[in-house]
Amino acid sequence: MSDDLLVLDNLAVGYGSKVVVDRVNLSMPRGSFVGLLGPNGSGKTTLLKTIVGIIPALGGAVRFQKLNARPPVMGYVPQRETLDPIFPLSGFEVALMGTCGRVAPGRRIGRAERAWTLQCMEQTGVANLAKVKYSELSGGQKQRVLIARALAAKPDLLVLDEPTAGLDPNASQALMELLREINAHQGKAILLVAHDLPVVRRYVQWVIWLHGGRADYGPVSKLLSRERVAEILGLDLP
Amino acid sequence: METLREVLAPGFVLRNSVYIGLLVGLTCPLVGGYLVMRRMIFMGIALPQISSCGIAFAFALQGWGLLPHPHGTTEEHALAFGGSMVFTLLSILILTLLEKRRGGSVEGRLGAFYVLAGAWSILLLVKNPFGEHGMLDLLKGEIIAVPNSDLVLSAGVFGFAVIPLILFHKEFLLVSFDPEMATTLKKSVRGWDGLLFSLVGLIVSISVLSVGPLVTFGFLLVPSLIAYQLTRTMKQFLALSSIIGGLSAVVGFVLAYRWDLPVGATDVALLGILLILTFFAKRAATLFGPRCAAKREFPR
Repeated sequence: MSDDLLVLDNLAVGYGSKVVVDRVNLSMPRGSFVGLLGPNGSGKTTLLKTIVGIIPALGGAVRFQKLNARPPVMGYVPQRETLDPIFPLSGFEVALMGTCGRVAPGRRIGRAERAWTLQCMEQTGVANLAKVKYSELSGGQKQRVLIARALAAKPDLLVLDEPTAGLDPNASQALMELLREINAHQGKAILLVAHDLPVVRRYVQWVIWLHGGRADYGPVSKLLSRERVAEILGLDLP
Repeated sequence: METLREVLAPGFVLRNSVYIGLLVGLTCPLVGGYLVMRRMIFMGIALPQISSCGIAFAFALQGWGLLPHPHGTTEEHALAFGGSMVFTLLSILILTLLEKRRGGSVEGRLGAFYVLAGAWSILLLVKNPFGEHGMLDLLKGEIIAVPNSDLVLSAGVFGFAVIPLILFHKEFLLVSFDPEMATTLKKSVRGWDGLLFSLVGLIVSISVLSVGPLVTFGFLLVPSLIAYQLTRTMKQFLALSSIIGGLSAVVGFVLAYRWDLPVGATDVALLGILLILTFFAKRAATLFGPRCAAKREFPR
């Protein structure tokens, strides 16, 4: 059985008929920590949304390997600004949404699922904010609630869209430490969009780097070496 | 108090009007809350107007001899309900398809639907030979004379619509708050949205038929705006909206009966007063609350 969780086979992504990134070929191993890098407008979010099934692929295929004869479960963490703060929801209510994939329509979310959600909030350090209105939380707290929501889905793959955007350096580092812990101790594969090179270099194992409509993929040590970065960015090294 | 006792007495001659107002007041905010949360308030204005246009169109068809003349109130109301439902659901479908294309402004489209539906309602009624006989009253919301059969029909439709709203609350909330997350959890966003908007259409149609477009819009929107200022969770928000709607309908009826006022307008005016009072109470709590709390915490 293959050790890969996700395979992108000649994938083309974009909106409408406009292709943003073409010919993406890569395999993401189980339990790996992958960063998706690239300049603004390079198609990071588009590729991420195509992988999780929000946007249809324009070509090629996204293939998930089955785990114990079932498709892997995804825990999705969107950019927090995309969630409308008008909804009167507590932190717990937001996190509880992660269990909706397991609870059949029309069925009440049971006690066990509620306890599990609270456990996920404890793990991300926001259990004390369960009753606080989600819209009143700080950026870092919201992000942790959203990660708790993704964990509540009991995912095999955690997918995060710019989780550190807008956070101060301390909050950003604490969040990345949390993700590393989830990856290392729970063995969950993580795919995250980031534009902060030092953060990516420090925490992730593999990198997908989008530039000029192409995707380069490789281990951090190779793809983020000084020479390779200079080559991709077209810089002259002294 | 005496008027309230009289209105709530089982033998009260206009009790069906109280019950129908109560049903609309309890039910409309349950879907109105979703419209407010999804920032689709304009849809709440446009749909009742479109529903009215559907009623006028159904009667126009009958006036032009394209449909048989209804015998009795029940048949007349069934015809009106059919017209209202068809127009409301078709409009929701068209608006959703246009939204998917993401061209132009949503507000512009809803505004156009609203104003065109209003104009066509008037034109269709003016040109209908039966227009002066009851149909105008129906469009205005004839809350006073409600036959038992209509009450039973309305209660049945409201019950039919409310059960899925309660049963599938978590699905409706998920696709409204975060459709992308819903997709990753293998939920059919289009399917759940379709069901939610069908229920909105059903409730709006029967409400317009029972109390008219103005009161329907009032109950869709204002209880939610009041409850929003007082609640912290979605369940509290929907439950309180519904309670406010139901209470306002009964109190509004009592006031209208006491001072011989039009019931629908009294209901909406009462909701407006509640909204203003809640707004100022909330402002006062925000202005003075923290200061009072600070004094308690730091007495010096």
